[in-house]
Amino acid sequence: MIRRLLERRRFMREHRWTHEHLSAYLDEDLDREGRGRVEEHVGLCPQCRRVLATLRRTLGALRELGAPRPPDLEDGIVKRLRDQG
Amino acid sequence: MRPAPAEGEAVLVERAKDGDQGAFEELVRRHAERLYAVVLRFVADSDEAQEVTQEAFLRAWRSIARFEGRSQFFTWLYRIGINEAKRRAARRPAVPVISLEDEPVPEAPDWSEAPETRSAQADLRRALEQAIRSLPVEYGATVILRDVEGLSTAEAAEVMNLGQAAFKSRLHRARLAVRRALDQYFMEGGR
Repeated sequence: MIRRLLERRRFMREHRWTHEHLSAYLDEDLDREGRGRVEEHVGLCPQCRRVLATLRRTLGALRELGAPRPPDLEDGIVKRLRDQG
Repeated sequence: MRPAPAEGEAVLVERAKDGDQGAFEELVRRHAERLYAVVLRFVADSDEAQEVTQEAFLRAWRSIARFEGRSQFFTWLYRIGINEAKRRAARRPAVPVISLEDEPVPEAPDWSEAPETRSAQADLRRALEQAIRSLPVEYGATVILRDVEGLSTAEAAEVMNLGQAAFKSRLHRARLAVRRALDQYFMEGGR
């Protein structure tokens, strides 16, 4: 009983820690021990596994979020600069 | 005279500080497109983004003599652009702001492998743009600078005038909020 309680407490501690470090994990900003902690917990926790997978997809989609540029953008700025002398 | 493209940025900035408008115009040509892409995410449409970009460059030109070169020119410029976008955003009627609390949505599907047809990509793009616009500017800016524009953490933190640890913390919360908005989007059938 006590053992199960301690395991549960440890799981929740790792759950919170992992959740806080998912960005750092994806940015490869964790040391080896940190990466190991995330990977171990994600292996045990379906919720964190889903958040990690969807966060990874979110970042991929953000990277592809280009913006079409107006054709006369620079000319418009230069014209205003020159108009203002 | 238009400076040669290969001319170093620091040289152009120094010349602009001495009043050389041609040098500043070269800086415009180097940075306008990326600044426009950044501010577009915070304003209503392309026309307003163009106005904000122009205004940011005019402000930069007027105050370039005070640019001390402690940061890179473009991080200083982005800061001016984001502040201008913020001023505009404050004048608009308030829009619903998405929560920065990342409470779990247990019933949300795992959409990490959702198919990427062309129309699904367009819908996802709109959902992402909406999610970013619904974030407070100081959070949305972290995602735009780091994830969309690909600045390094150090560069993006400098634009935001934050230490790197504070920037990373804000970025993480913003990313989770955008991810959670996509949870809602996919729960509603991805449209």
